[in-house]
Amino acid sequence: MRRLWLLRMAKHWPKIRPGLPPLPHALHLEMAHVAQWFHAASDTTRLSILEFLSQRDRSVGELSQIVSAPQSTISYHLKVLKESGLVDESRAGRHRYYSLRGETLDNMIAFTRTVGPGTHRGTCPLTCCTSPLTYQENLIRFGP
Amino acid sequence: MTAPAQVAHWFHALSDETRVRIVEMLSHKERCVCELEQVLEIAQSKLSFHLKVLKDAGLIADRREGRWMFYGLQRETLDQIAAYTKSVKPGKHAGSCAVACCD
Repeated sequence: MRRLWLLRMAKHWPKIRPGLPPLPHALHLEMAHVAQWFHAASDTTRLSILEFLSQRDRSVGELSQIVSAPQSTISYHLKVLKESGLVDESRAGRHRYYSLRGETLDNMIAFTRTVGPGTHRGTCPLTCCTSPLTYQENLIRFGP
Repeated sequence: MTAPAQVAHWFHALSDETRVRIVEMLSHKERCVCELEQVLEIAQSKLSFHLKVLKDAGLIADRREGRWMFYGLQRETLDQIAAYTKSVKPGKHAGSCAVACCD
């Protein structure tokens, strides 16, 4: 049974083209995710929340005091930030504390680095990338 | 420190899947609208709109060559975005808030 399952898996395993490395790009980030992170950071209130959270974890009440906005507004913005993975929530007794998630910020930085001019790694569906020869040339020119 | 409105403007430009794909395509080299249209499979009017948003945010710059417009990425803006994101990483607070902790 297990052998059959393994055989089936091997059959459908993505074939690696000989001589070509697997396509590395933008950490294989899903475009939708990238857009969601940047959307979460595209509001001035949310940006100030991010800045205040970068110092230490804070609760909703604290944030609404600092940003001088009603608690409901802050809660809404925190929800958006939480859904896009920029902010984590933790509970301490009756209070909820919010903290920044460093990984997502790192991923955002990585995205801006990988799309920097000249760092393209051959993923666009144009001939420059799909034809193996040009792909190799790009590798030589821009490095792996 | 850059003004929050400006930062929000940059992030807004990258907050759409189509625009992120455009930025990815431009990271290779300058491209004309015809190439982008062919790959992204969207109407030219939509594409022009997205390009305008990116251009207003300063992420791309255009260059006219004969009948065609070529679009290229602006490295400085991408660097500034990375710098901002780095400055808000946990524990990296630069002391810019108007609260007792920073005074």
